[in-house]
Amino acid sequence: MRLRWIGAKALGALVTLVFVLVFNFFLFRVMGDPTSQLARLPRASPEEIVKLRAYYGLDKSLLGQFADYAGDTVRLDLGVSQRSRRDVSTELAEAIPWTLLLIGTGTLLATVLGTWMGVIAATRRGTAADDGLLGFSLFTYAAPEYWIGIILILLFAVALPLFPAGQQVTPGAEFDSFFAEAADVAEHMVLPVAALTLMLLGQYFVIMRSSMVDVLTEDFVTVKRATGMPWNKVVRRHAVPNALLPLVTLAALQFGAVAGGVITIETIFSWPGLGELTYNAINDKDFPVLQGTFLVFSVAVIVANLLADALYFLLDPRVQSA
Amino acid sequence: MRARALVALAIVWAIAAAAPASAQEGKKVLRMGWAQEPQTLSPFIDQDEEDFRVWSINYDLLVNFSPKDLGPTPGVAESWKISPDKKTVTFKLFEGHKWSDGQPITSKDVKYSLETFAPNSLLFPSYVENVTSVETPDDLTVIVKTKQPDARIVGGLFVYILPEHVWGKQSLKSLKGSFRPKPPIVGSGPYVVSAVERGRLIRMTRNPNFRGKKPAFDEVQWIKYGNDDAVERALTLGEIDLVPEVQQATFARLKKARNIEAVSSTSPSFTQLTFNLCNEENCPDAKFNPAVQDVKVRQAVAYAIDRKRINEIASRGTAFEGHGLLPDYYKAFYTQPSEDYALDVDRANQLLDEAGWEPNDDGGVRAKGGQKLSFDLFVRSESPANIQAARLVREMTAPIGVDFKVQVVSVDKLTELTTQQVKGKIAPDFDTFIWGWGGDPYDPGLLLNLITTKAIGGSSDAFYSNPEYDRLYDQQSGEFDEAKRKEIVGQMIALAQRDLPYIVLTVDSALQAYRTDKLAKPKRVCPEPDGDITCDQVGYASITALAPAGAAATGGGGDDGGSGLMIVLIVLAALAVIGVVVVLLRRRRAGREAVELEQ
Repeated sequence: MRLRWIGAKALGALVTLVFVLVFNFFLFRVMGDPTSQLARLPRASPEEIVKLRAYYGLDKSLLGQFADYAGDTVRLDLGVSQRSRRDVSTELAEAIPWTLLLIGTGTLLATVLGTWMGVIAATRRGTAADDGLLGFSLFTYAAPEYWIGIILILLFAVALPLFPAGQQVTPGAEFDSFFAEAADVAEHMVLPVAALTLMLLGQYFVIMRSSMVDVLTEDFVTVKRATGMPWNKVVRRHAVPNALLPLVTLAALQFGAVAGGVITIETIFSWPGLGELTYNAINDKDFPVLQGTFLVFSVAVIVANLLADALYFLLDPRVQSA
Repeated sequence: MRARALVALAIVWAIAAAAPASAQEGKKVLRMGWAQEPQTLSPFIDQDEEDFRVWSINYDLLVNFSPKDLGPTPGVAESWKISPDKKTVTFKLFEGHKWSDGQPITSKDVKYSLETFAPNSLLFPSYVENVTSVETPDDLTVIVKTKQPDARIVGGLFVYILPEHVWGKQSLKSLKGSFRPKPPIVGSGPYVVSAVERGRLIRMTRNPNFRGKKPAFDEVQWIKYGNDDAVERALTLGEIDLVPEVQQATFARLKKARNIEAVSSTSPSFTQLTFNLCNEENCPDAKFNPAVQDVKVRQAVAYAIDRKRINEIASRGTAFEGHGLLPDYYKAFYTQPSEDYALDVDRANQLLDEAGWEPNDDGGVRAKGGQKLSFDLFVRSESPANIQAARLVREMTAPIGVDFKVQVVSVDKLTELTTQQVKGKIAPDFDTFIWGWGGDPYDPGLLLNLITTKAIGGSSDAFYSNPEYDRLYDQQSGEFDEAKRKEIVGQMIALAQRDLPYIVLTVDSALQAYRTDKLAKPKRVCPEPDGDITCDQVGYASITALAPAGAAATGGGGDDGGSGLMIVLIVLAALAVIGVVVVLLRRRRAGREAVELEQ
């Protein structure tokens, strides 16, 4: 029973993945022919453009190109970037750790802060603290991430030069030790991570708050209080763990939003991760890289969803019996 | 390594001290920023401006561009002699000059560059298309022979001289495929690439064997930012010293910024209104409104267009008014045409009347025999300046009864419309469009070629064909004497002005900005006196002339906190006020609604 449920979910994920693969291929072909830009280059002759097209296999039929693509993807050969002429897998491998660092730190901070703020607001419902926190998180949730990013830069990098406005490490700097470099990176992380945290914070807060409000009105809480257990302890031991459940799904579902947001945030902060790679690839019509980043994003979102299902399965007994 | 880095970062994150890395002390570094980085730095396959920025510092040409007027000045070659039939040029190389790795620079390198590199590269084959042989009787002599006289061999041979002992080791297949040169990239220029950190930085260090004067900076760094705004912000924050290419939209703001000087200089690029002049013979399947091929109509349009206003509005005053086919950047060859089409609406109306285009009674579009003066005007969606220019053209020509229908399309679409073929013949499908072209630093041939008959099917996009113009073109291509060539070019410009395949609206500008507290006032060169400050993509002469600002200014960098603190305080106060208002409003409402219902 359990295995079948998990298996069905995994199969669903696999089908989604295949669909994404097929869809990606045709999506990017709709964007136009990348070599048409070359036609305007005064220094490139028509014969050279023909040669270039042959080199990239762009002279083949669409179906032929698709066959190449499918075969290569299965072999995990993501092709060569049309721009840097390096393997797409190398480009991705260099970018992914930076994005993970950014998303990881941002998500961690957002969940911890959001949850904490949610608990405060729920237990002080109707007070100024509740209103203030709600107003603040609705504001950061509603504000577009590029706007938050630019405001953060204007405030804390330009007006008050506390933090660097971009990049992940001081360009050209030579570091004496690994820790000096790590400290430099950490300093560069402050603003982009803050932007990402602010972008994610609101949802965690709102969900946690309403979930807590629900839990706090349930009978077992009243019973626990009636036993004479201190209020703090009731909240921490019994209410919070029960209220956390919806956050698990949220964290997974939000992954899609994070992937979108990280493209803008990385571009604004010149952060050399997947987002900036995607942005540059779009500008350059670098199809292989674009396909690569989309593949990574899609796989990540699909896996995150599968993970959420699995976690739910473990955490919530009701799912298991269903 | 990565995993360790991540773990360590997570730990350090909380305790990170705000101490900027200061490992650069003592070294004089020129830092420049860009939003795009070169592809691979291999001149065989790369094609970006950023590549040219690096190559032009890393390498010499056989004959370099003089920073004064971009004319020929010694490069790898010290001197040259042109044979009486003008088909043979003999170059003498500098004696005793070495590559950055200590190997001598010889005629073998020149031969490799002209015979192997240029023809097999993506961007350089056309420069050597007339070369029939490159002979090297000894290490310091190179004899270049051409099919017909080709003036580009001296001063227009825009082919970098690469070290044969490095590049010659690679197979051609690899060079044309995915070969990426590994730093240090051996060169002959003042600085050579010593490190490439993709997505971050290209470091160029001083070439110990550079033949010229030792430059003031020890190192040149190209720093990659996520976008143009970030580059310009880095300049205002003092993170970088110079931006070789500033956006039109931010130029005015940078000009006003403290400690920053923004420079607008003439360039070899222009923006033109192109007419589809393809004839039956060259493109039987072309589609266009035949009225566009009436020269009187084009002349009338030219008189009705206020190019100065187009510059002021569409290019925000950063560009220059166009005066004929060549930008005045080409100091050696440019003459302002006598027929310049200064704004004259009456003359425009008169021309159309003469040509029999009857005005419509209610002030609408003119027509003749059922044919209306109504044209499609295509522009690229990616260029706000071109879109703006197109709207202005429409607005300016409406009073003379000519109707331009502005159509904003993608680059791909416009390329397709202008280059598509039917049965092996070009079949353009447009009346007019606005786009631009850029030429070589010294030789005007590339731009003049755009409206020759033999460029049809190649770079021609007006499909103009005039045997007289073609004859003059061939004549000037083989003329090594600047003064004589200038005269021929003048006749060509006059023809182009009469027939107007293009109305050159504006000459684009090169916009640059630098920090006055970091750089001593640079000289405007390439060409003097109104060129740029780095000889961008052209040569290294002015990079070596750049020097740090006086020692007094070293403490600078970034704005002071004074006004900044005020801004932060004001914003925080505003946020606090908004917060209080929100709280009050909610409390008032909460008071009215009594208690929230619980489920």
